[in-house]
Amino acid sequence: MKTILFNPIKKYQENKLLIIGIIATLLGSCLAYVFNARFDGIIDIHFVESINFWQPLLDNLINISLLSILLFFLGIYINKKTRFIDILNSSLISRIPLCFVPIFNTGTTIEKINTTLLNTLTTDKIPDLSSIPVSFFIILTIFSLVSILILIWSIALLHNGYKVATNAKEIKHIVLFFMCVIVAEIISKILITNLPY
Amino acid sequence: MKKLPIFCPSCESNLLVSELSCSNCDTIISGTFNLPKILQLSPEDQEFVLQFVLNSGSLKKMAIQMDISYPTMRNKLDEIIEALQPNS
Repeated sequence: MKTILFNPIKKYQENKLLIIGIIATLLGSCLAYVFNARFDGIIDIHFVESINFWQPLLDNLINISLLSILLFFLGIYINKKTRFIDILNSSLISRIPLCFVPIFNTGTTIEKINTTLLNTLTTDKIPDLSSIPVSFFIILTIFSLVSILILIWSIALLHNGYKVATNAKEIKHIVLFFMCVIVAEIISKILITNLPY
Repeated sequence: MKKLPIFCPSCESNLLVSELSCSNCDTIISGTFNLPKILQLSPEDQEFVLQFVLNSGSLKKMAIQMDISYPTMRNKLDEIIEALQPNS
């Protein structure tokens, strides 16, 4: 069970993982469209007022391609036998937990809370937080905690998959992996924010 | 089948073969012989090498047979190659 949840790359064949990863990405993109979510960075999800159906799909495409390409070059540097399909599967599978985050915005709840909070904090010189319902804070706290757990799960999946795909063992390899993820996050954020789609 | 000990239980050095015997005529040969590298691997690794040969060196076939992914198989092979290096 632990392997299925945290290291499926170790056990399952690449074709099965690729199909599951693609289906999950498509499903995640549909959920993001339904619940007004944008995957505007490899470890980012933000809720927006309006959305086109292709936007979350292109977000996912940019995030997965960028992460896979950067991690593949790093993989080749670490171990020449690294295969692109294993890195791609790691990227695809690691995003499965993130696919379910948009559901939190059912009825645009999170988006409304965010807007209310931002309006209060930016329009008033001395923000009157007592005007915001307590339920907003409770929902936002639960959402934040669950999001952090999902993010940790996602990074654990990516890290474990990368370790299997590249046979990385040294601390240096792990440091390079996290640096690569940060670089991918920065580039994906710039691309998604600036590309006109 | 009895497990072949390869490390000394006292000081953990590699063990040597000091006696060989024929089960047919009871001839006994004494001396000091090194264990072949392949016998110094763990029983699981020896089984892996055996399966590797039986599958004509196809890691893909082995991965399907053992219900494990290809990169895991390849990593296992890399570890065995490392263990079989002359200076390891």
